[in-house]
Amino acid sequence: MTDIQNIKHKTFLFDATRCIDCRACMIACSVENNIPADKTRIWVAGVGLMGEYPNLGRASMVYHCMHCDEPDCLSACPVGAYSQRPDGPVLYDHNKCIGCRYCMNACPFGVPHFDFNKGLIDGAFIDKCTMCPQRIDIGLEPACIATCPTDALMFGERTDLLTEAHSRITAHPARYINHVYGETENGGTSYLILSHVPFAELGLPNLGSTPVRDVSEAVMGITIPFALTWGAVLTGITVGVHQFNKRKEQLAEAEAKAKPEELK
Amino acid sequence: MKMQIAINPRLRFHLSPFVAILLILMGIAFVVAMIRYIYGIGAISNLSNSYPWGFWISFDLFTGVAIGSGAFIMAATVYIFELKEFQPLLRPSVLTGFLGYIMVVVALLVDLGHPERIWYMMIHMNGTSVLLEIGICVMSYLTVLAIEFAPVVFEGLKWQKAAHTIHKFIMPFVILGVVLSTLHQSSLGSLLLIQPAKLYPLWWTPILPFLFFISAISIGLAMIIFESVLSSRYFHRGLEIHLLEKLGRAIPIVLAVYLIVRSTQLTLAGDLQYLFNSGGMSILFWAEIMIGSIIPLILFSLKKIRQSSKGLLIGAIILLVGMILDRFDVSWFAVQHPDPMTYIPTFMANNVHYLPSLPEISISIGIFSFGILAFGLAAKYLPLFEEEKK
Repeated sequence: MTDIQNIKHKTFLFDATRCIDCRACMIACSVENNIPADKTRIWVAGVGLMGEYPNLGRASMVYHCMHCDEPDCLSACPVGAYSQRPDGPVLYDHNKCIGCRYCMNACPFGVPHFDFNKGLIDGAFIDKCTMCPQRIDIGLEPACIATCPTDALMFGERTDLLTEAHSRITAHPARYINHVYGETENGGTSYLILSHVPFAELGLPNLGSTPVRDVSEAVMGITIPFALTWGAVLTGITVGVHQFNKRKEQLAEAEAKAKPEELK
Repeated sequence: MKMQIAINPRLRFHLSPFVAILLILMGIAFVVAMIRYIYGIGAISNLSNSYPWGFWISFDLFTGVAIGSGAFIMAATVYIFELKEFQPLLRPSVLTGFLGYIMVVVALLVDLGHPERIWYMMIHMNGTSVLLEIGICVMSYLTVLAIEFAPVVFEGLKWQKAAHTIHKFIMPFVILGVVLSTLHQSSLGSLLLIQPAKLYPLWWTPILPFLFFISAISIGLAMIIFESVLSSRYFHRGLEIHLLEKLGRAIPIVLAVYLIVRSTQLTLAGDLQYLFNSGGMSILFWAEIMIGSIIPLILFSLKKIRQSSKGLLIGAIILLVGMILDRFDVSWFAVQHPDPMTYIPTFMANNVHYLPSLPEISISIGIFSFGILAFGLAAKYLPLFEEEKK
């Protein structure tokens, strides 16, 4: 939580009330990152018509990597194929990936995707949003942001965007649900969401402020001390049992020897 | 293997219809695996971005590792606690464990996207990953099991000196084996700890690793009974029913501990509310508790059941079915993934279903056939059972 307060932390802000479901962000992303036509790093989900006539409404949600401050994929990956830049982006290195797909299980948002239709020769890898570090580094916004026609997607420093999000809620309390999704969820994410419909309807999981990786990491933390202690205890038991049995045998032998003498 | 059968007349007996079926099943699995390596996992399985892990993980990894636990239980009983009377059960259990773990690794080589990189676990270690711990433990434990089983092979080859040498230095490996087993049997539970938002609350708890370890012990005991009774029937050898009776006595104790820990955990976590009103989840929960714990607990408490080979076999099968259901629940049935592709929003009750495809199951069946065949061959050609020793 210390890092995410850093002014240099890059963040997206998505406002569901502004999204018109045009899906230009998907195209821009695929062009920028050379994504084949049958794949995408962004999904735009429509909730469909809501409410009753005449008060009808629609909502759509632009969904991609949340770039958590404490990424669960990074924690889960056995070979360290994930890394996190100090300014936010969570990156994936396909040169290390063994294709175990544990990151897909670990991510509470179901973001990492796998090439299920590629064999050994083509190479099946995980894919996910990278926050366009190649653009950030030369001072540009990520491709999806730059292309958004309604400013439903915005980009900037996390503290600035949080202020912006809260001021929008204050300015239009009737329009928004009074919560910025991602401010605390899963330990804080670099993708903040404002919405006029409940977040669950946009497909977002209901998460607490502790990252889902915490329990698993705590257990991993005690593994090596536990293994050493357990090994020592077992060695102790082995030696103890052996000595006990040996002593018992000796006593039995001594008794067997003593008995004939008594008989004399 | 086929060539050997053609050449070696001693093996001719083995080309019975049963063995022929096993070989055919292995052949099918091999062809399916080749298709998977050329065209990808999606070509033969129903795994998808919504269900990245499926039947292979639940059956081959979770079940395979659990039923291999008999090996470390018997090794601890015989070597660490020096209960030498259980010696006759040691070798078959170690072999079951050894073959079981080989099957796990073979299945993982199909399931991994990059099987050729499995050794990356040894050079790029991420210390926070539970999967890394399991990978390292399984690899090391497979080595330990090979060392524990080597004397049997050496005796079969009449290399008495080699067998004797290994026997002399076996203790450190036994202790290492028990430590590694404790770690990865429980870590299979830890694997799900990172999914508190996906695994149904009746199963998700921070003490999952502990529950997994206790249930692995009951599975190991049941597996030893199961395989001893079966091999006495099919390999026409004596049945150490007095030993199995003693093992059977331990089962109610283990299951009682399991039930107490599990019910205390559910009460303390406030999850009792889900016991009856969660539809399919409640049914799965009660099925696994009844079949895996309560019924076997009652059965193995009865002396009459423990003293008959039929009673032991039925009790063991019921326990195994129930506990394997628990492994399937934790790793598959009770796990619910969000589905960003089709976007079915309500999170804990989405409509994404996964059922394994036929080729997917055929891989597991082929690997399992290999295990049965290897066990049969070992029983025939190696001094696996006590009366053949000496």
